[in-house]
Amino acid sequence: MSEPILKVKSLSKSITAHGNTLSILSDISLQVCKAETVAIIGTSGAGKSTLMTLLAGLDVPTSGEIELLGQPLSQLDDEARAQLRGESIGFVFQSFLLIPSLNAIENVTLPTVLRGEGEDQVKAKALLASVGLAGRELHLPTQLSGGEQQRVALARAFMSEPKILFADEPTGNLDKKTAKNIIELLFAMNRDNGTTLILVTHDEQLAARCSRILRIDDGKLVEEIITAKASSVL
Amino acid sequence: MNAISSSKKSTLNSNLLLRWSWREIYSAQLWPVVAALVLIVACVVALSALAMRVEKVITAEGRSMLAADVVQTSSYPINPLIIDKADQLALQQSAQVSFQTMGFSDTSMHLISVKAVDSFYPLRGELRLKTKQETLSQHVLPGELWVAKRVLGLLDVEVGQTLAVGDAELVISGIIEADPELVFNPFNSIPAVFIHESDIEKTGALQIGSRVEYKRFFNGADNKLDDLQNSVELQPGEKWLSEKNQGNSGGFINKAKQYLSLTILMVIAMASLTLVLTCSHYASGRAQTIAMLKSLGASRVWLKRWLMIQVAILLAIGLVVGSLLGIVIEALLRLPLTDVLPKELPSYGFLPFLMGASVAILVAIPALGIPLKKLLDTPAINVLQQTKSKTKAAWWLILFPLSAFIYYYFDASMVWLVLVGLIVLFTLLALVSYACILLVSRFKWGPAMSLAISRLKRSPKQSLMQLAALSGSLMLIAVIWLLRSDLVGDWQKAVPENAPNVFAVNINPTELPGYLTHFDQRKIERSEAFPVIRGRLSHINGTDVYRAEQYKANPANILKREVNFTWLETLPSYNQVLDGQWGQSQGVSVEQKVARQLGLTIGDKLTFTVNSLQVTAAVNSIRDVHWQSMKPNFIFIFTPDVLQNLPATWMLSARVSEQDNDLLNQLSRDFPTISLIDFRVLGNKLQSMLAQVSLSLTVLASIAVLSGILLMFTLLRLSLKQRQSEVMLYRTLGATKKRISQTLWAEYGLLAIIAGFVATVGAELLVYSLMQWGFKLTPSLHVEMWLVLPIIALLIVLGSLRSLFKQLLTPL
Ligand SMILES: Nc1ncnc2c1ncn2[C@@H]1O[C@H](COP(=O)(O)OP(=O)(O)O)[C@@H](O)[C@H]1O
Ligand SMILES: [Mg+2]
Repeated sequence: MSEPILKVKSLSKSITAHGNTLSILSDISLQVCKAETVAIIGTSGAGKSTLMTLLAGLDVPTSGEIELLGQPLSQLDDEARAQLRGESIGFVFQSFLLIPSLNAIENVTLPTVLRGEGEDQVKAKALLASVGLAGRELHLPTQLSGGEQQRVALARAFMSEPKILFADEPTGNLDKKTAKNIIELLFAMNRDNGTTLILVTHDEQLAARCSRILRIDDGKLVEEIITAKASSVL
Repeated sequence: MNAISSSKKSTLNSNLLLRWSWREIYSAQLWPVVAALVLIVACVVALSALAMRVEKVITAEGRSMLAADVVQTSSYPINPLIIDKADQLALQQSAQVSFQTMGFSDTSMHLISVKAVDSFYPLRGELRLKTKQETLSQHVLPGELWVAKRVLGLLDVEVGQTLAVGDAELVISGIIEADPELVFNPFNSIPAVFIHESDIEKTGALQIGSRVEYKRFFNGADNKLDDLQNSVELQPGEKWLSEKNQGNSGGFINKAKQYLSLTILMVIAMASLTLVLTCSHYASGRAQTIAMLKSLGASRVWLKRWLMIQVAILLAIGLVVGSLLGIVIEALLRLPLTDVLPKELPSYGFLPFLMGASVAILVAIPALGIPLKKLLDTPAINVLQQTKSKTKAAWWLILFPLSAFIYYYFDASMVWLVLVGLIVLFTLLALVSYACILLVSRFKWGPAMSLAISRLKRSPKQSLMQLAALSGSLMLIAVIWLLRSDLVGDWQKAVPENAPNVFAVNINPTELPGYLTHFDQRKIERSEAFPVIRGRLSHINGTDVYRAEQYKANPANILKREVNFTWLETLPSYNQVLDGQWGQSQGVSVEQKVARQLGLTIGDKLTFTVNSLQVTAAVNSIRDVHWQSMKPNFIFIFTPDVLQNLPATWMLSARVSEQDNDLLNQLSRDFPTISLIDFRVLGNKLQSMLAQVSLSLTVLASIAVLSGILLMFTLLRLSLKQRQSEVMLYRTLGATKKRISQTLWAEYGLLAIIAGFVATVGAELLVYSLMQWGFKLTPSLHVEMWLVLPIIALLIVLGSLRSLFKQLLTPL
């Protein structure tokens, strides 16, 4: 087994509101290795999204340690974590989150623009073609269907050649058939790019396509399943 | 190689940034931000440009009436130190000595007032002297004698004949057609002549004890004139005159200018509020985008640049479009003023643009800065969940416009008064409005109304803010409009359409009946004939006003000169009695300003010297007098018994039209000793000036009203947009379209009516105090507004929300 690129040790997150402390995650430890596909599943409100935001460095834990790509997140400030995300991490969100005033190709080039590298139109065009949107480069998000918007988001996620891709319920806003297409595309691109995938979902069937399943319940890691797929990765 | 490709990449990068920023502005809700910025710039540019021009014109006019930029007057020969200083400063100078002496012709004699001037007089304004051959000259030369036309009739002489001015025998050179220092005073019955200063000695009129006024005129740069005035300490009897302290012509122009600056302030305030609202709305709408960009790895520096480019584009559009619009508005405001302003207008330079830009930028610093800073602090986690940002809002940014404001208006107590008043009023208004809601909730209502009321009650802070903003802006536009009407109304009352335009004074009692029939045969509208007796006030309640310490420094001019008295059976109907009651005997009615200056109250005993006789009367009433009305008016009006038996001349005023020119000519010929003064040109000029200034005030007020409506429009639409998700929720929960629409209408309708009512009360209070203490005019109530303002509020709500309601309620 290769070096773990994500190490989590006794992670907890609690929130204080109106004087009450609410524990959302407690004592979670896990490791993810390069090119693994990991599903985080659980019922709604279990704490899956919260876990993901912590792993990706979007938020800071109450206690515990996260080491992402060899960097202990607790020692990085907001800016350094943003830089790390920009260089090595991709996201796919449930609600797509495209910039409405930018067209498809501009949305795809966004990650490189944010790094101050300028628009790599050729690469963006190729990525759009690979998600089946050749010829739609100049369309605005409002001119695209939900499935098409998520394809643009996928292309955007792979634009910066991330080492880890986080996907939070990527099909949650899509109908069944479109969802299936998007999932196929996601796994295909993930495989082709050799990316590590962390997929948050409440869909057991979808989770079963990953090499490992982590089940969260009421903020605790309750079960870890190595699926049949795991061997194919290794 | 690498450097080249990276620089190419970075230009591409900024290209996308520019494109993107432009589209953000174009497609996101940034148009209202641009509109607010444009409004601020345009108003400041237009109004300050106009104010500067009007200011320059008024200054020029005032100076031409002084015959110089600055004048030193004194009862003694001018202090040589002043003249030395003026020489040092290389100022243009001129001198005048005026005194009264007797004029003698072969057949008669009369008291005349003599102005002896040097050959440079006047330094400003127009002195027009006309010879018999109709040639004009503008300066008086040694040996010349120029006389007022009336002198010829009074002394029975003609141009070219000899006239003795005191002991000096001079040949009359011609007629004085225009004297720059001439002021409107029909009673000034002593005719004037001009001679050269080198002839003073020959007249032998300047003797010890004779009343002489010395004047020295100065022209030069403003700072040098200030230097001069500060260089010497004034002795008793010495005084500086400048257009600033001689503003008798600019009375209403000054009020118009006050109104102008008040309106600028209000428009800026409303536009700034619009800016704040739209910008904070934009910021809250963009929080998720910022969080998403952060999650994709955007650094603060990058985000800052992204926002700054947008702000820069916004400001650039605002400044350019605003300046252009400002030029157009200034021209528009000036359109009705064409006759008032001279043909050749002084240019306003670039200062108004600088002011427009600085005001806009100063206001924009907090208005854009605070919400954008907060936006920049949005945590990346917000991409998935709504958390409240823990960072403090950057309120200190307000210090930028605030300190500029304090610096600029440090001395303007009126501005501070208005400001403090507004803050107190706003707080009160918000509370009163909320009390109204509570009151309304006491009653039983239908389901829609109850729901609306409970919603308003549930979020008191938000409701209060909305109410305060809504009633505040309604109030401001009402104030601006009412002030305009009150000012214009006051001017029209002061100078009515049918004001008299000729005065006849110095009518002998024996000539009076014959003189009057000339007018009455032609059915010319005229006033009663008033007896006129000159005299002085000498004692108040037995205290000698010339000796007593307490009156030494009194500002009342009447202590220093003779004034005209009249006696009447009843007071003129156009004089309003403020205090006391007109009586039948031993009484005198006093004009209110003089009464105030002298501290007179009803019952005070006044003693007057008339032709070396003493008469006494008790103050029976105090009157308000509109001096600009051009009707015969007097400071002191006596009951007949006091003055009836003293010799008097008579005066009257009349309104004549162009067809009566021949009559006026005939009267001047047939009654050479009666001076008939024609104010038609002056009167018409004043009339049209008033009409034009009123019109441009209306244009100005309309702009202010428009900006207020823009504010309310923005406010309402934004508040409704924030309700979008709530409405969707109601819809999903199965509320009928009708029910939701009724609830929304009930809520906003209630808001509008309460705001309208509260604004009415606030506007009345504000206008009342501004008229009373700001403009020093008589305030009045505006009953029609009590109905109109709530209706306008409802219409504005209806107009701004109708389309949005439909949009909100379209099937999901
Ligand atoms: N900022 C927050 N404030 C209060 N409660 C929160 C906050 N974030 C998450 N929660 C709570 O934590 C729990 C886990 O949320 P989340 O991670 O979004 O669940 P999942 O994604 O598994 O549906 C939920 O009960 C949610 O209400
Ligand atoms: Mg979730």
